[in-house]
Amino acid sequence: MNIEQMRLEEESKRKAPWKKWGPYLSERQWGTVREDYSESGDAWDYFTHDQARSRAYRWGEDGLAGISDDEQRLCFALALWNGRDPIIKERLFGLTNSESNHGEDVKEYYFYLDSTPTHSYMKSLYKYPQAAFPYADLVETSKRRSRDEFEYELIDTGVFDENRYFDVFVEYAKASPEDILIQISIHNRGPEPAQLHVLPTLWFQNQWAWQGGDRPVLEQVASGAGAGVIKVTDSRLGEYWLYCEGDVTLLFTENETNTHRIFGIPNRTPYVKDSINDYLVHGRKVAVNPEKKGTKAAAHYLLTVGAGQCQVVRLRLSKVEPAALTQPNGKAAAGFGRRFNNTLQARRDEADEFYAAIIPSSLDADAALVMRQALAGMLWTKQFYHYDVDKWLEERGSDPFKPTRKAAPRNDHWHHMYNGDVISMPDKWEYPWYAAWDLAFHVLALTLVDPEFGKQQLKLMLRERYMHPNGQLPAYEWNFGDVNPPVHAWSTIFTYRLEKAQKGVGDKDWLKSSFQKLLLNFTWWVNRKDRAGRNAFEGGFLGLDNIGVFDRSSPLPTGGYLEQADGTAWMALFSQNMLEIAAELAMTDPDYADMALKFVEHFLWIASAMVHMGGDEGMWDEEDGFFYDVLRLPDGQAKRLKVRSMVGLLPLCAATIFEGDLMKKYPELAERLQWFLYSRPELTAEIHEPSKRGVAGRRLASILNETRLRRVLAKMLDENEFLSPYGLRSLSRYHADHPYVISVGGQQFSVSYLPAESDTGMFGGNSNWRGPIWIPVNILIVRALLQYYTYYGNEFTVECPTGSGRQMNLYQVAGEISQRLANIFLRDKDGQRPVYGGSKKFQEDPHWRDLVLFYEYFHGDNGAGLGASHQTGWTGCVARLMHFFATTTAEQVLELGKKAVFKTTADIERGQPAVVAVGGE
Amino acid sequence: MAMSKKQALALFVDRSSQQWIVRDPEGKFWIVPFIEDSWEHRTPFEPTEETDLEPVPGHYTYLLGLPFWPKKEIL
Repeated sequence: MNIEQMRLEEESKRKAPWKKWGPYLSERQWGTVREDYSESGDAWDYFTHDQARSRAYRWGEDGLAGISDDEQRLCFALALWNGRDPIIKERLFGLTNSESNHGEDVKEYYFYLDSTPTHSYMKSLYKYPQAAFPYADLVETSKRRSRDEFEYELIDTGVFDENRYFDVFVEYAKASPEDILIQISIHNRGPEPAQLHVLPTLWFQNQWAWQGGDRPVLEQVASGAGAGVIKVTDSRLGEYWLYCEGDVTLLFTENETNTHRIFGIPNRTPYVKDSINDYLVHGRKVAVNPEKKGTKAAAHYLLTVGAGQCQVVRLRLSKVEPAALTQPNGKAAAGFGRRFNNTLQARRDEADEFYAAIIPSSLDADAALVMRQALAGMLWTKQFYHYDVDKWLEERGSDPFKPTRKAAPRNDHWHHMYNGDVISMPDKWEYPWYAAWDLAFHVLALTLVDPEFGKQQLKLMLRERYMHPNGQLPAYEWNFGDVNPPVHAWSTIFTYRLEKAQKGVGDKDWLKSSFQKLLLNFTWWVNRKDRAGRNAFEGGFLGLDNIGVFDRSSPLPTGGYLEQADGTAWMALFSQNMLEIAAELAMTDPDYADMALKFVEHFLWIASAMVHMGGDEGMWDEEDGFFYDVLRLPDGQAKRLKVRSMVGLLPLCAATIFEGDLMKKYPELAERLQWFLYSRPELTAEIHEPSKRGVAGRRLASILNETRLRRVLAKMLDENEFLSPYGLRSLSRYHADHPYVISVGGQQFSVSYLPAESDTGMFGGNSNWRGPIWIPVNILIVRALLQYYTYYGNEFTVECPTGSGRQMNLYQVAGEISQRLANIFLRDKDGQRPVYGGSKKFQEDPHWRDLVLFYEYFHGDNGAGLGASHQTGWTGCVARLMHFFATTTAEQVLELGKKAVFKTTADIERGQPAVVAVGGE
Repeated sequence: MAMSKKQALALFVDRSSQQWIVRDPEGKFWIVPFIEDSWEHRTPFEPTEETDLEPVPGHYTYLLGLPFWPKKEIL
């Protein structure tokens, strides 16, 4: 066990709070639903970036490369000023949904370079222009652009020309759980010396004004040790000290709303949230408190950094009081001596050691770099998320229990919710709120480095403070009642098996309690989303935003309703996952055996509905060999919406192999199942025959029988349809020349292949499922291919790519898709990373080219990154794929099959069998 | 049937006079100064047709120390 693993162990056993401090500060709190108290629910325009520097937040904080404690009482982040900007840079700037031609978008360059899972070491980079930041240009130019044009990016403004910018690296290293060393390294990449104001800032989240309690205090105390010292006093956190190296001016104000600027009402105190900004930018010396105390404070360093030179600022946020830092000779000290450097270097080395045990040595240096930055991004994207919906409704006059209530624009059926936890976010600027189905994918990657955190995250969504009393899982704050694909059970059984393999024993208590709640969720789906009670499911947009002809979350312009191929396929997979969990629990608890049988039968009902329902007008189209949504019209007619999209590939994902252990243990269960299959032959007539044995006697639960599987694969692996050089597209390229068009009431609706950005405003217009490559659904398909391979073995081969003449087994196909996905980020033979498309700076500049961003989705033809730029969230799952194929051979998959376990890289490299995360009971 | 005449407490700003305005649960409007014990120093306010009151989030009522809602310690 290496040192970081020991820290994880100490944290897990509550011996030391290594995770008390972490990157839990959001990158954007303004423009969020929880800060929105408008009548209309226009969150973006209610609390703007312009207001953010002056207006105290209600529910959280934001900052640059920052950290906070795990209740976000105290925050630390970086602020900068180049002397030219109209405001100091305290937070990342970006365009709101309505300002940009493709929805909200951060307009800054920042990178998560490293993090250990306990955040004992973290490193990030922010690139700060020396010229005035082009705020207005970004807004105005973007507004002028149409949806058919690319977004206007910061680099397009020319502000980085001649390299006139600073690279600002921020490193955190924990000497102990509550003694954090901070090193800020500023590199001038430009041709001339340049001045920079560096303002490391410490502040309290304002809770005293809204909910009472003692007001915490920051105050300067004497040090006499060549450092500025701020003492922190808080009723819950106790005392801390922030040591700031050197003879530095400390500025103090209050984290209070500047009511004069925001509401036009004179302030009660001159010391308000934006006072440090006003002190510096406008020279208002009276704006900061001469008594050197407050609830927000910054150390003011004014540096002149030579061309190509670097200067360093060091700080220390610590429980260690000044007296304890006294040197042996009795002189005062601030803890910035050799020991500071040694500790920082030790944490860097320990991070290397930790990742050496995670990243397979068979990966080359570039792949290792990509994998490490993917995991760094996952870990940096944790955020303290605070939202008491009941309180929020009350504060906007929408208390659900008061007869005088006003209607709330959203979430008024979710007043049971109290969220106040550290959660893995999709992207802390563009999506600084959790999304339950994203989170299920995040866990796949996070468990590479911190399985305990993965378990905690999955459990959190099932708690009474999150899950609706009716069993629905919350979608996301814009509409908790929206419906996301049900992948929670899949992630749960994955995580359980991972821990079982690593520790030798699974956490059955956790699995049991998860199962109970997942059962509520399954029942919610069955009772709410199967309109006709025939096992054909709806669900609305189901995470795939604009993939359909119509907005699938709104009433259809035709009237009637959709039977969704994806909704039904998700439920088939959900049934399989519940069966897997019940079967695992039944091995030691017979009470679960009946539930396992229940889910076998439920899977068969759903799978058969998928292929039978509607007869000739069902979801399966025999002529095309593909699944489609079916439009059920009010007059009883039905029509397939023949869009070849990910919706039609998802039925392939509902595939899981079973080894037969459950039936061996419970022969009577086998008899009951046999009776069921015997008496209902129509259920299995059109799907894969579940009793038919495959390699090693395994059984397969799958909607697709072999014939249909081959037909779907032929389309999926066709480079003119789904298979791109960089993974599987969300929509077939066939629709580039053959748009799908439907006329309704004289109006035409169409879907055509759009490999880059969306050309509609559907779902905010900031994402696009009509062509680009999305990592999470690709992962589900890779998983399914491995399931099929484990069942069919080497004898089952397909042409890949279709028409190429190359035959591959399904392990090879899965590997091929995974490699194409990884190639998005890896340097190609010309040294270019496809993710950066034609951006010369990112492709060629040594200070840019190895900084990897994990975008939300990718161009369907050239792999360029699109959408949110820091959605390391589920895109970070590429790390799991890279790890898997670097450590697992086809032979091992076939041999171990259901005995799938998850070894660490170290185990594998010690010669122990590598294994795969597939199926099993 | 007797109907409740209670209304939701609401806080506003009147930018023209630079003052906080509170509508109490009885529906009466008050000017509330931005000082300690603000409610004790309230004075009546009569909105006219020209009055443009801008709603302010409910949590600012805590900031003003209004007596209508108990403060709640969030865990």
